[in-house]
Amino acid sequence: MIELNTIRPYFEDKPDVLDEILGRYPEYGRRSAVMPLLWEVQRHERYVSEARIVEIAEIVGLTATEVRGVMSFYSTYHGEPVGKYHLQVCSTLSCKLAGSDEMCDHLEDSLGLVPGETDTEGLFSLQKVECLGSCTTAPVLQVNDTYYERVTRDELDALLDALRRGEMPTPKRAREGDNAQLGAAPLAGEAFEAGTAADAALADAEAAEPENPEGGAA
Amino acid sequence: MKIKVNEVELDVTPGTSVIDAVFAAGHDVPYFCSQEYMSPIGACRMCLAKIGAPRKDRATNDWILDEETGEPKIFWFPNPMATCTTQVMEGMVVDTISKDVKKAQNAMVEFTLVNHPLDCPTCDKGGACELQDRAYEYGSGESRFVFDKRHQEKHHALSELITLDRERCIHCKRCVRYFEEVPGDEVLDFIERGGHTYIGTLEDGLPSPFTGNITDICPVGALLDTTSRFRGRNWEYHHTDTTSLDDPSGAALRIDTRTGRIERIKAGLNDDVNKTWIDDGTRFGHEYADAEDRITRPMVRRDGTLVETTWADAAREIAERIAGMDGTRIGIALRGDATLEEGVAAKALADHLGSGRLDTAPRPAASVLPDGAAATLRDVATSDALFVVGDPTEEAGIVDLRIKDALKGVEPAPLFPHGPAIADLRLKERMPRKREILTICAPYRTDLMKHAGQAHVPPATSMVDLLHALAERASATVDGGTPSGAWDDALGMTAAEADALITRMRSSTRGVMIWSAFVSNDPRADEAARTFAKSVGAKTLILGPMANTAGLERISVLPSHDRYDYASMFTPETKALFLASLDPAVDPKVADRLRELDLLVVHAAFPTATSALADVVLPAVTGYEKDGTTLNVEGRLLPVRAAPVEAGTATDFTGVVKQLGEAFGTRLEGRSVKSARRVLRKLLDVDAAELPTTGQPLPPVRGKASGARAVREYARATGDALIVPSMVRVEHLDRNPHLRAERGDAALRAHPATLHAHGLTSGDVVTLPIGGIPRQLRVTASEGVPEGLWLAPTLPEQPVGLYDANLAAMVRERSATAEVA
Amino acid sequence: MSGAVADKPDTITSRHDPRFEVTLYKYVGVEGAHTLDAYLAHGGYGAAKKAFGMEPSEVVDLVKASGLRGRGGAGFPAGVKWSFMPPVDGRQRFVVCNADESEPGSCKDRYLMEDDPHQLLEGMMIAGYAIGATKGVLYIRGEYYHAYERLRDAIEEARQRGYLGENVMDSGFDFDVILHRGAGAYICGEETALMNSFEGLRANPRLKPPFPAQAGVYGLPTTINNVTTLASAVHIIEKGADWYAAMGTDDSKGIHHVQISGAVNRPGVFEVPMGITYREIIFDLAGGPKGPAKAFIPGGTSCPLFPFDDEHLDLPMEYAAVAKAGSMMGTGGLIVIPEDQCIVDAMYNVTRFYAHESCGKCTPCREGVSTWLPKMFQKLLAGLGTPEDVDLMEDMVSNLRGTAFCPLADACAWPVQTSLKYFRNEYEHLAQHGTPLHPRKDRWQS
Ligand SMILES: Cc1cc2nc3c(=O)[nH]c(=O)nc-3n(C[C@H](O)[C@H](O)[C@H](O)COP(=O)(O)O)c2cc1C
Ligand code: SF4
Ligand code: FES
Ligand code: FES
Repeated sequence: MIELNTIRPYFEDKPDVLDEILGRYPEYGRRSAVMPLLWEVQRHERYVSEARIVEIAEIVGLTATEVRGVMSFYSTYHGEPVGKYHLQVCSTLSCKLAGSDEMCDHLEDSLGLVPGETDTEGLFSLQKVECLGSCTTAPVLQVNDTYYERVTRDELDALLDALRRGEMPTPKRAREGDNAQLGAAPLAGEAFEAGTAADAALADAEAAEPENPEGGAA
Repeated sequence: MKIKVNEVELDVTPGTSVIDAVFAAGHDVPYFCSQEYMSPIGACRMCLAKIGAPRKDRATNDWILDEETGEPKIFWFPNPMATCTTQVMEGMVVDTISKDVKKAQNAMVEFTLVNHPLDCPTCDKGGACELQDRAYEYGSGESRFVFDKRHQEKHHALSELITLDRERCIHCKRCVRYFEEVPGDEVLDFIERGGHTYIGTLEDGLPSPFTGNITDICPVGALLDTTSRFRGRNWEYHHTDTTSLDDPSGAALRIDTRTGRIERIKAGLNDDVNKTWIDDGTRFGHEYADAEDRITRPMVRRDGTLVETTWADAAREIAERIAGMDGTRIGIALRGDATLEEGVAAKALADHLGSGRLDTAPRPAASVLPDGAAATLRDVATSDALFVVGDPTEEAGIVDLRIKDALKGVEPAPLFPHGPAIADLRLKERMPRKREILTICAPYRTDLMKHAGQAHVPPATSMVDLLHALAERASATVDGGTPSGAWDDALGMTAAEADALITRMRSSTRGVMIWSAFVSNDPRADEAARTFAKSVGAKTLILGPMANTAGLERISVLPSHDRYDYASMFTPETKALFLASLDPAVDPKVADRLRELDLLVVHAAFPTATSALADVVLPAVTGYEKDGTTLNVEGRLLPVRAAPVEAGTATDFTGVVKQLGEAFGTRLEGRSVKSARRVLRKLLDVDAAELPTTGQPLPPVRGKASGARAVREYARATGDALIVPSMVRVEHLDRNPHLRAERGDAALRAHPATLHAHGLTSGDVVTLPIGGIPRQLRVTASEGVPEGLWLAPTLPEQPVGLYDANLAAMVRERSATAEVA
Repeated sequence: MSGAVADKPDTITSRHDPRFEVTLYKYVGVEGAHTLDAYLAHGGYGAAKKAFGMEPSEVVDLVKASGLRGRGGAGFPAGVKWSFMPPVDGRQRFVVCNADESEPGSCKDRYLMEDDPHQLLEGMMIAGYAIGATKGVLYIRGEYYHAYERLRDAIEEARQRGYLGENVMDSGFDFDVILHRGAGAYICGEETALMNSFEGLRANPRLKPPFPAQAGVYGLPTTINNVTTLASAVHIIEKGADWYAAMGTDDSKGIHHVQISGAVNRPGVFEVPMGITYREIIFDLAGGPKGPAKAFIPGGTSCPLFPFDDEHLDLPMEYAAVAKAGSMMGTGGLIVIPEDQCIVDAMYNVTRFYAHESCGKCTPCREGVSTWLPKMFQKLLAGLGTPEDVDLMEDMVSNLRGTAFCPLADACAWPVQTSLKYFRNEYEHLAQHGTPLHPRKDRWQS
């Protein structure tokens, strides 16, 4: 409360943003706006301070305790500021099997940070996170909101260099299977011929089919 | 429906939870998260049992039979089920004792203890801990968890009144649910998740008037009453089950005492009255009873100073000094929380002296007894249309909670032999509340208004007129007639709102109107309220200012004539006065009058401005230390029982009458609780000695209340200071340090603009004469107070109502800024 | 259907069957396919239009007849679920799309939403029409920011051009979608926790009953389905129930999406007919294991694992067969575990996930899954364990089975329990020697 009086409310000069968020939900569901409001603040301030919690509570008509209870339930809202680049290494099983432990070690060495830390310049924060839903393109590194998939050692080094220069490279989309990128975008309707994607992927699969020497047994 | 628990067959009502069925069958199952009167949530998983049920063939609608036995075949759920969240089904079979079930229960105890510090030897809950008991009964006795336990704060002050030991918390969520479900103040919540979950608040303290109940329902020693921490072990406590004299709700209390002092107060169970809840004023406001300066022996003024003496000597002194005095010049006044027995004693004394100057204070101008259909608290809790005039939260906290029950719209469940339902499956977390059934009208914004569908804040000066206008409009439309005359929106409600209220109340089947001193102080307002209630067909609940105001009125502890009322006792006509637990000398003008008396006898537990002027001071017990009977707001007779508290030779008023009788050489009725009860039996046809702890409804008086309806005009319809009810009793505040630390000093509340206009800031301490009584108050800004109005909490000597504030004579004792610096 | 159940040559159960056509994923991975124009160009929103020409109950019946089962993990028949909605009574009704996809090993929903968002919106619209819900809630996990942006833009575009909002496509039916981002909590995938999360509450699962159809979002009648379940409805309407039912087996019809990761040569997402064998998936589609493998998890880490042997590789991907063999189809997130991966380490990884994701509501999960079990693994992996510790772990996971409030604790217990069943020797080796049978090795490709 005291903080609120001295810090300008976040939404004070953003009535449109506030209205848009509140307007998404029915009148009786005003409380639903808690999460998007937290997101909105965090996206711009990189964390949600207690003053903002109080502000959001007042907007939605809750106690600050309730907003804190909700916010702290989720692992991606932060009560403390994170660095400009928040490096989140997936460390769950598929990524582990694709070398995420080693990738994280490499990041720790390169940045001189252990997971959970932010460097003194506020440039990088390093964090181990759980499955990001990118298991078939493991290992995956999430930088702020962007996924970098199937990251190799060289790619990671290049990525860190780019970030240090203040550049966010466009992520490559290295996929396989039916979700593989099939090349140039056919924009006209007729280009969407039945089976294009499927056939290509299947042909690919069959071509690569090994002789299966072990007969499948472990 | 028929079910079987282990080998016990029993019949249960559909909708019953399996856990209640198990207890009803005389079996036991451990539980931690379920809590009477709250929603079952199935979180602790302690109540697991094996459950099966027969099934019907979809096609034929016949039971599927077991081929071997020919009986309906039992289909067992594949996993153990939480009995608290499972409903009984026809033919259900419940197993709580087989090896599998024991293993599961054992495992749950083990999981529960993983992070529990097992510091029972130093825990205040030791000996009364649900976890300790259950671990003993259902655990394996050894722990296989060899790691370091979760380390967390062990002495976290959630507020000045409640201390949290985070290590002991077992995450049953009772406390968190309580705040949402019972008072509706969500000031406590879980923070973080998974194994890191803990309870906490971001508020300043725990801003709710009903916080202490969480210390009762916490199954472990995680939430503790700070006033009683480290005071004693549970097995050392003496328990007294009694009734609160703190306010007119008649809440059941359990007073825990040890070596002659009160260590803590807990809520008692009275399903009809307070269920298992009490407000914080009632729970934490007991420390005064143990104050250093208690009067424990009689004192008589000799050569200008009060000196201790014996009861016999003091009584002799009194007898001598009133001998030959004109009895009609002697006044006797009791405080409104005196027991009925004390009332009988006071009447007997008055009769003996031949005096009609007998009264209780504070007593509103109008009767506090209903004359039509009286509402019970259960009626309130099941009402479908409520109209409240006043501030029940502060007046009788339990009424506030019962109103909130009504908003949930769940009928109270019948009691089981084992007590209230452990898991009433109709109660849910975050139930929708039917706010639209509640209309509140008060001269300032009350806390309860945030739960109301409609809230009206009429100017304090027009409350009477508003009630009149409502009564008129309601009467005019009784038989579908049209309202006559113009409506004045300035009264604080529009015509449309008034009509909506009338229609809502009238079309309901269980309407209840609740009012309090704001109405009773003015006989015209009272008349209007009664007319309104009658014409819309609502039952009525009238909140008296003190615990037993209604009871004392009911047995006519009243002046013989209106001109002999309490106020008349401070006129020169009066020569001698007996004042029990009252302190009228806080008003300097009254103090001057008291000095002129021939004899002033004060019966008090503490030195007061009045006792300082007394000729004889007699030591009084507090409300925790007397036996007697009280009549609560709904007309229920309830037993008051004395806790064993060391208070020297202090007695209640029957003790005073006994000693005086002896000095007079006569045996007065009411010279003991027992003899007073003989009188009560004649008056009320009830044996007060036989009352159960949960009391007994007293049939309401038909027609007009038996007590004389006085026409004194205490309250005036003008004034810029509004004395308001207060859950925290201001007269005891100095002697209740913990309560004071949490709830703050007596406040002078005003709108920020009003404060600004008078150069005041929140936190300033001022002395402001209100209605002639200098009040020391801490200035508090509040948007909920209309501009230009000053709010201060009531004292027994300064009843609720409008007064003049002498702003010109206001003195700033301390300024907030100076204090900070 | 009587007689020979073993062979049903008339249904498609292999990707090698020439009749199989990739449908849901046809435009996934195709650059530019996410726009409304691209979607319309290949007949997008035609299925919805077709549905609007039918009675809602006919749509429900058609989906029932197709045999479509939920693709979120539990496999509940979608049409049957839709028919649970109470009679229309004027209250707002909701169709909720569960796009929280957080089950380790799963990523099929993400690609669909990123590359073909309109397909999902159309599916929600059809479901909404069938159950009488004019509002859709699309709950997407917070990390899926790219998909969120694509969906946000798609919804905006659809609104502007009359494909969402009042009177969609002049059908007289109103339908709009609220897009809601999660913020990192696996439990939000559990349908009732999702609803709490959407409502701005802590995302603990709710008590059932009441089921969502009675009291779901905001206490109102609600049907909730997974992304691919809803997207499947589009094609069932378009091509008919028979088309869908012509794939798979009696028990499990239609299409699923296998997401294969771990030690295989070509990890990826593959659209497959139900009834396909795990052997075909692993060897033909994913190019076989990368080196010897010892186990595979058939449907995301919440499922009991299978040893990598002929018996299990030859299982058809079918709810009943997989269940009979002791595991679950789950989300179809198939993870292959190589021979040289220490199983204790792998199971610690899985346990740590559930420990992190436990909501904390119930005791066994909070204290067992989230606290004690990971500590046991740490002790063992640090070389400090004893053979009794292995027994204790086994007893503990059996105590976790079936006792918790929601399936999350089971989800943790299952893989651990089966790893103890099949690879107990690795646990014992660690307990006896203090070192793993298979030491850690660098698995990061350079
Ligand atoms: C712990 C847990 C996590 C779950 N996560 C997901 C999820 O991420 N996505 C999903 O679609 N269903 C998930 N489910 C299943 C949902 O509860 C629900 O069954 C599903 O959304 C229903 O949709 P369907 O019938 O279309 O599969 C999860 C269930 C549990 C118990
Ligand atoms: S403090 Fe007590 S009531 Fe609250 S969660 Fe912990 S154990 Fe339960
Ligand atoms: S395990 Fe890393 S994305 Fe799923
Ligand atoms: S689960 Fe806690 S009492 Fe039933």
